[in-house]
Amino acid sequence: MTISKQRFDPALMRLGAQHLEAFALANPDVTLAVLTSGDGFEVAAYPPGQQTSARIAAMSSSMQALSEALTREAGLTDNRNLIIETGSGTVMILGLASTPPLSLAIVAKSGELLGKLLWASRNLGAKLESSLRK
Amino acid sequence: MSAAEELKIVFTGPMGAGKTTAIAAVSDVPPVSTEMRNHDQASFAKAATTVALDLGHIGLDDGTIVRLYGTPGQERFSFMWEILGRGSMGVILLLDGSNPDVLAELRKYATVFRGIAPEQPFIVGLGRARPGDDEQLDDCAAVLKSLHFSAPIFSVDVRRREDVLLLIETLLTSLEVREQDLS
Repeated sequence: MTISKQRFDPALMRLGAQHLEAFALANPDVTLAVLTSGDGFEVAAYPPGQQTSARIAAMSSSMQALSEALTREAGLTDNRNLIIETGSGTVMILGLASTPPLSLAIVAKSGELLGKLLWASRNLGAKLESSLRK
Repeated sequence: MSAAEELKIVFTGPMGAGKTTAIAAVSDVPPVSTEMRNHDQASFAKAATTVALDLGHIGLDDGTIVRLYGTPGQERFSFMWEILGRGSMGVILLLDGSNPDVLAELRKYATVFRGIAPEQPFIVGLGRARPGDDEQLDDCAAVLKSLHFSAPIFSVDVRRREDVLLLIETLLTSLEVREQDLS
């Protein structure tokens, strides 16, 4: 997306795209992975060029913000992830401990085991956090 | 209006119009906020922007609780407009009078929210209006007229509690008048 290319550091976008691609290739039931800014812009996505990824980016940032607000209201801390299970697949949203604040939205077909998907997605999040700190 | 009701009203409008500020100005409790760092300084130069909703409430003397929902302003969050607008008892549209595109913004948001809540009262609050320029309010009224409806339009400073209460009270009065007309 042209606008987001001007909005974010190209190095961040390249790094995000590389991590998302490696993740999706290692987890074949993942149909879409989007790295999103806190205010709902797509930073990187795999596969790239999907029309839905910008919408998923905006929606996942809203849901991430809502889940953080709900966490605060419930008196809980350290919001980690949001899981939506459907009859045909799973959407997972994970907040990253990063500057700027980012989140990951992962969409997977129902063949993917939830625990494996969560484990792999958290690993991806940790790798991104680690890379962004460097 | 019967006692001890719960009402939902929605504050909407473009980014930077003051929705979060307005709700914070009147809410009885610190509002639920979903503000995140704003990466779109070209659209509006401010540090943070609402990405899901604001939620506050005020209690009225008769026990009625008015829940105040604020929408995100940007079009990419328009899915939240529909979600938040559903079931609302009225819409307060806040606009930035210093924006040269204010009339286009009025037309856009009025059209969208009349579609989402077609039967409910609609109030317009114009912030940062040009001082002493009543024509700006008239121009807004003309836009609404061209959309075949009318709505009260006020020049407001959303940082002032009394200005925001004026908008809410006008909306509640519109609801009461409609209830009386129906009974």
